[in-house]
Amino acid sequence: MKLRLSLQTLLVLDAFLEQAEEWKYGYDLSRVTGLKSGTLYPILMRLAGHKLLETEWEAASEPGKPPRHMYRFTPEGLRFARANATANARGALDQVALGLTTLGQPAPNPAES
Amino acid sequence: MGGPRKFAGALLRAVLRIAPAESRDWARAMLREMDFIEGEWAVLFWALGSTTSILRHAASGWRRWFRSKSNQEAGMNSTGRKALGVGLGMLSALALAGCAFAVLRIAGTVFPELRHSSWEYWLGVLIVPEIVFVIAIVMLWRKRGPVAAGILATGLVMALHVAVHLTLHW
Repeated sequence: MKLRLSLQTLLVLDAFLEQAEEWKYGYDLSRVTGLKSGTLYPILMRLAGHKLLETEWEAASEPGKPPRHMYRFTPEGLRFARANATANARGALDQVALGLTTLGQPAPNPAES
Repeated sequence: MGGPRKFAGALLRAVLRIAPAESRDWARAMLREMDFIEGEWAVLFWALGSTTSILRHAASGWRRWFRSKSNQEAGMNSTGRKALGVGLGMLSALALAGCAFAVLRIAGTVFPELRHSSWEYWLGVLIVPEIVFVIAIVMLWRKRGPVAAGILATGLVMALHVAVHLTLHW
């Protein structure tokens, strides 16, 4: 699947993974991820375009109240997000392990290289 | 309701009106979210970001349309390809002329003293578009001959129109 997984996209996927079955609103996602609308919505559009997110208009609970647009993972989106969350967690662990290993070694001598 | 919120609402409603069909649902979604944002400036920044998102989404739709047109062009025979090129050239020329005219209109609004001068009129309807056409024709003639021919045809029609106008009114 051709989808650029930027840090911001990973943040959005992460926000969706919390209570993945529930519908989420754009502004709530913006608050949770700290992303501005100009960054968040292109990501949501891309995810929806790749059929990883499904979108729906909320049925108005009270008369006169405007409906809101809601977003939720499709089954494929949930699989994709879980796979990438695992891959990224493994990547982060590798980075930590590498850092710990290099901490224990003497600093390389620039004259030798 | 304060000024920034009013402006933000007006901006997103304007975006909703001009957005292409495939972006309209997203624009409406961003507009609805504004009711749940506290703070005047936060709403304004939300609207500005949303406008950028919609314009980018619309631009990607146009890019897809152009790509599909060029794919169609690749599958056509020689005559069809040339006809499409001429058509695209004419459309581009009209769009360029429209843009030049709009820029001069805006300049007339910003500097009202220019509005009734005759040179602004000639600049808008003849000089600027024709200069742009000549540059475009020279640049495209070898690589995209049919497109250049389309621009040339539009330029000639515009010049002819001006000549007829001058003959009748002077």
